[in-house]
Amino acid sequence: MLLDRLGKELLFLDGGMGTLLQEKGLQPGELPEIWNLEHADEITDIHRRYVEAGSDMVLTNTFGANALKFHSGKYRLEDIVKAGVACARKGAELAADGREVYVGLDIGPTGKLLKPMGDLAFEEAYLAFRETVRYGVQAGVDFIHIETMSDTYEVKAAVLAAKENSDLPVCVTMIFDERGKLLTGGDVPSAVALLEGLRADALGVNCGLGPRQIFPVVEEIRRYASIPLIVKPNAGLPKQKDGAVFYDIDPEQFAGDMRRIVEMGACVVGGCCGTTPEHIRKMAESCACLPVLCAEAKEDTIVSSYGKAVTLGDCPIIIGERINPTGKKKFRQALKDHDIDYILKEAVAQQDSGAHILDVNVGLPDIDEKKMMCEAVEQLQSVTSLPLQIDTSDPETMEAAMRIYNGKPMVNSVNGKQESMDQVFPLVQKYGGVVVGLTIDEDGIPPTAEGRARIAQKIIREAAKYGIARKDIVIDVLAMTVSSEPEGAKTTLEALRLVRRRYGVRTVLGVSNISFGLPGRPLINSNFYTMAMLNGLSAGIINPLSADMMGSYHAYRALMNYDENCREYISRYGKEQQKDQGAVTAAPAQITLKTAIEKGLKEEAALAAKALLAAEEPLDIINSQMIPALDEVGKGFEKGSIFLPQLLMSADAARSGFGVLNEAMAAVGGSDEKKDKIILATVRGDIHDIGKNIVKVLLENYGFDVIDLGKDVAPDVIVRETLKRNVRLVGLSALMTTTVASMEQTIRLLRQRAPQCRVMVGGAVLNREYADMIGADFYGKDAMQSVYYAKELFGRGIDKQ
Amino acid sequence: MDGRMKEALRYLGYGRHAVDERTMGLIEDSFAELEEVADRKFVYRIFELIRDGEADIRIGRMQIHSASLGRNMKGCTHAALIGATLGIGVDMRMKRHSLNDMARVVVLQACASVMLEEYLDECQAGLEKELEAQGRFLRPRFSPGYGDFLICHQSEILRMLDAPKKIGLTMTDGYMLTPVKSVTAAAGISTTKEPCHIRGCESCGKRDCSYRRN
Repeated sequence: MLLDRLGKELLFLDGGMGTLLQEKGLQPGELPEIWNLEHADEITDIHRRYVEAGSDMVLTNTFGANALKFHSGKYRLEDIVKAGVACARKGAELAADGREVYVGLDIGPTGKLLKPMGDLAFEEAYLAFRETVRYGVQAGVDFIHIETMSDTYEVKAAVLAAKENSDLPVCVTMIFDERGKLLTGGDVPSAVALLEGLRADALGVNCGLGPRQIFPVVEEIRRYASIPLIVKPNAGLPKQKDGAVFYDIDPEQFAGDMRRIVEMGACVVGGCCGTTPEHIRKMAESCACLPVLCAEAKEDTIVSSYGKAVTLGDCPIIIGERINPTGKKKFRQALKDHDIDYILKEAVAQQDSGAHILDVNVGLPDIDEKKMMCEAVEQLQSVTSLPLQIDTSDPETMEAAMRIYNGKPMVNSVNGKQESMDQVFPLVQKYGGVVVGLTIDEDGIPPTAEGRARIAQKIIREAAKYGIARKDIVIDVLAMTVSSEPEGAKTTLEALRLVRRRYGVRTVLGVSNISFGLPGRPLINSNFYTMAMLNGLSAGIINPLSADMMGSYHAYRALMNYDENCREYISRYGKEQQKDQGAVTAAPAQITLKTAIEKGLKEEAALAAKALLAAEEPLDIINSQMIPALDEVGKGFEKGSIFLPQLLMSADAARSGFGVLNEAMAAVGGSDEKKDKIILATVRGDIHDIGKNIVKVLLENYGFDVIDLGKDVAPDVIVRETLKRNVRLVGLSALMTTTVASMEQTIRLLRQRAPQCRVMVGGAVLNREYADMIGADFYGKDAMQSVYYAKELFGRGIDKQ
Repeated sequence: MDGRMKEALRYLGYGRHAVDERTMGLIEDSFAELEEVADRKFVYRIFELIRDGEADIRIGRMQIHSASLGRNMKGCTHAALIGATLGIGVDMRMKRHSLNDMARVVVLQACASVMLEEYLDECQAGLEKELEAQGRFLRPRFSPGYGDFLICHQSEILRMLDAPKKIGLTMTDGYMLTPVKSVTAAAGISTTKEPCHIRGCESCGKRDCSYRRN
């Protein structure tokens, strides 16, 4: 059994396949997997030569054999995969000479970028990999080898496909550059955290670099990984001569370098591009007698996103609490309106304020929590690289979100109740994650620190049954409201100390509950926060936009020597001091709201709007100052005296003015005016949405309620939303000729199902004639034109000259 | 005003108009931001070029019917296929700013285009030098989607360059490159030097274009 040997003895993989095929006449751009059927003997022979050279593990010629590449061609995927396995098995049998040789199903990337930045849905990628895995399993492979992955999201889809559709060992290698980065921006710790969370059986690095350049990457993986390490470098860096790509590290040198890599801790070694049976033979000879270094179990508590890993260590970190509808009227409304941007803005604001992880809770009785959570998680990961904490009490939502999350998430939460542990731990076992354990069980929250520590222990023990290590559990000893529980704060602090000391686990705490019912809550919260950190709090769940809480945090770090030379503290609070002094000498220049908008000054516009509110009604301010200013700028844009960046700066300034006025109206309950609704979408197949976003900003400034469906939107989704929300105007954008077809399709469908609705279109390839041809009602050559059209359509009159 | 700034203004449609200070500031900030997030990567590969007719050429095993590319590659014996990208970080940054600062997005995207062109020029200059040492000369690049060089060749070019694996350059089902700030192109290679190639903007027939460089 391979699993019994992995990590305990040195195993040799094979070397390059493409290199040898090119020697035999494979052309660049030709699909090598077809050779499994057309030139089976050649493929078998390559496997045979590797096994003869000493390979214990050979990989099938199925690197690019997935459903996305092989569904429309001459050959069936099933035949290609099964023939590939047969070739490898036969080659191994011909040469094994009594040795046990394992055949691995080789799985490479799809060659597509996943959503939200690309157009391949995570589940589609999963299904593509699943198909290959199933054929491989049917054909009797011994293990699954996922390699050359440069995207953590895609590798997750592949590992899940392998794990859910086989019981075989799963090896995974990714492609890192010299800086230890993936092409999609991830780093070594984030990749290791993800793969170990998904329970890969061995992990490592292949391709991209030659053996020497790969040394530092190997060292770094070794520092973070607790499972066996695979290394499979190229024979140097690629070079070109007369149009042919070649690699110039010879077998001798390769063998010497691989020896060093084994000494560094690799226990499965082989070669990638440019390596040949001779490279493998020399490597096997040179390394055969080397001892294997077992990977030690690492104890760091790490969560990750696609781009970075965050360690919960001695220096406390911040979990932003603001993506949570509890007690927030606006947030609840945003969820009901399906306003994802609202959530994204909360995320960006918290990141900018210094949060390290973001809690995401979108539970509301009357919305589909699972759907909303998945959408929020996916979209959040396109604007922030911070790891997320999936916060839900619904196991189904939790599983769906953990599945589509790109990284190793924080999971909030499990508790000491058996039912909760039975539901949550299998998910953590399968998808990986750091789970928050609340010290509450069937008997409630124990009043004593000792009682809470006992529940912590129960959680840790139960988790161990699922193979969930202590490092992947963080305990929340719960902060009780001090106004009703006089000893509450003291108990919490004592429990923090206790679980830290006794079990060595990291801790987390929702801090602000402590002050409920008291005046001056920030005062209590920020002081309690400092006390909690001093007593062993690893991660406070706080509001990073609160100056008091952040003050406590940065002061604590400075005082406890976590902030070297108080650098961070000085950079944050040094400026404030200067600002205070500056404010005395330079009084703010008086500037009207109209001027602020025309000049595109955001802060000044807000200040001016606030000043005007003292004497005027919000609606009067809008009509007398804001609209004229916007009109003025719009006309300038049309005349060519004002350009797009300025138009948009003015739009932003106006927005900040509107923000102030809207709040004032909401305060007196007068903002329930029904706005005219407009749907905007970038059509299916199109991922360029800058134009659409420009139109959105301008329409919003003119008081329209814009429902933004995003980019790459299918025609039926646009029609469904149009009907559901009873919308009279839809704006569509497309950038390229290839996507105008789906614009036309959308218009046709709208005509059939929502004939009362008007359609305006815009985008780089369109013009008036083209727009007429596809049946649009209006073509906007720039963003202002769509505003004029909308105003006209909704009978607001045209004040355009 | 440096060349970069001028190019960015041209992409933003300023033409010869005066530019305000705030936009200039935004352009400077955007270039600085791009230096931080862009992860420039380049890949090329040289293939034999076979001419089957005025408008029919073969680059490696890719068959192309295109009069404009045929003209562009007249007299060439080889062609370099090229792929370059600024990486996914730029896309993410633009998405992030689009939440509350569209002016920045528009400027950032113009600056990213400038940076990408600059980078391609730089890479191409290196390749040019290498080829000249062998007595061969590189023509200006030509991208699928321009003229009658059909965009559907995108997938083949990416495959021939092994671009997803080498530089993380992929495309959508609609032939759009992802990351968005990326380019693929073909550039002819000949053994005779063609003097004074007209390239890029100046080679275009549309003289009343507001983005025209002059």
